Amino acid sequence: MDYKVNLKPTSLIDPRTKLLLLFVISVYVLGGTGGEKMKVFYWILVFIPVLLLLSDRRWKLFLISVLVYGCSFVAQNLLQGDLTALQSVLALTVYVFVKFLPAVFMARYIMATTKASEFIAAGKKMHLPDAILIPISVIFRYFPTIREEYGSIRDAMKMRGIFMGGGKASQMVEYRLVPLLADSTLIGEELSAAALCRGLEVGVERTCIWQVKMRFLDHVLIGFCILTIFWSIFGGLFYDPI
Amino acid sequence: MNENSSNKLNAKDLIHVGIYTAILAVLLCVFACLGIIPVMMLSLVVIPPVIAGIPYMLFLTKVKKFGMILLVNILLGLMLWVTGMSYYATIVGTITGLIAEFIYRKGEYKSKKMGILAYAVSNLYIWSNYFGIFYNAEEYFSTRQEYGQEYIDSVQALLPAWMSPVLLIANFLFGLLGGYIGTKVLKKHFEKAGIV
Repeated sequence: MDYKVNLKPTSLIDPRTKLLLLFVISVYVLGGTGGEKMKVFYWILVFIPVLLLLSDRRWKLFLISVLVYGCSFVAQNLLQGDLTALQSVLALTVYVFVKFLPAVFMARYIMATTKASEFIAAGKKMHLPDAILIPISVIFRYFPTIREEYGSIRDAMKMRGIFMGGGKASQMVEYRLVPLLADSTLIGEELSAAALCRGLEVGVERTCIWQVKMRFLDHVLIGFCILTIFWSIFGGLFYDPI
Repeated sequence: MNENSSNKLNAKDLIHVGIYTAILAVLLCVFACLGIIPVMMLSLVVIPPVIAGIPYMLFLTKVKKFGMILLVNILLGLMLWVTGMSYYATIVGTITGLIAEFIYRKGEYKSKKMGILAYAVSNLYIWSNYFGIFYNAEEYFSTRQEYGQEYIDSVQALLPAWMSPVLLIANFLFGLLGGYIGTKVLKKHFEKAGIV
């Protein structure tokens, strides 16, 4: 019997490029570093996650991102000019939300298209120490788990008649956080066992069946990131505010 | 496991670091969003330290080697940086993490009092997120113009420079409180259940 493993990379770009993009998007879109002179870069960075989702044929996430972008654009346009107190709070919320969107979709893209194994292989190529690499891959693996577990806990507590807004604040925290933590210790044991089976140990040479290498698109995107950083530092010399 | 490697972090320790960093990051993220309301900016040194105390004390029960506390702080600091706070938290978090590491080692990785103290010290990175407002206000608010002048004024009125040491002390005290509550909750739920 033949075993067939699909060795094709899971996405168009390398995990290293994805991380760099996430960093650049966070700093320049979310953090707003650089101010006015970064405008063109800002808008390109905003749409990079959407284009990546499209090019990697993640239709569902792509449609969600387009919808969310569209809705928040409309909301921002509606909430302009003279605003009542409630409206301005709403406008502020939309504004903060919009700022977070590109980084959120970039993170979703990374999670949807990167295998943990690929990520670790890429990290090794960057010579990241295991002490940083293993926790980061666990964190990425664990975020969706937290949401899942939290959902189940909320359902279970609803059945017992304990929900948000009902009763004392300390109870609300206790009845949600404690089960989540109890879960986390068990999941920790399971993950450690799984990791041991997969040969994830500190200071041990690790092999990876997937190809991790830079291709044309990676070079284009990395070039763009470098240009962005360069422009944010030295752009002030050439930029002429009108 | 032999004696030699018992002092080095193994995969299991690092996985624990990852898990608890993720939980702490989610808690911080949820409560940091309260900062949209100006008055709640002050609550950021109160609520997160108290609530994060519970997972942190549970995390400390897993710590038996040098380096884990420091790693959590470095990772949280990096996360705060990429989620639009500033690199102050990364620097301060690394330093406080290192101090907390020495404190907890002094308690031989089991003293609860040292654990509470270590937590209170390590979570001072929350205070460092205010640095931008105190010491570099112009730049801080230049990236937040769209929040509206009203928001900027009220935040600045709330946080004059002398508030910096006040917040530091508050952060530390609520850290102690959080650590204390954490050990209580741990005793009530986890030690009885045999998880710890």
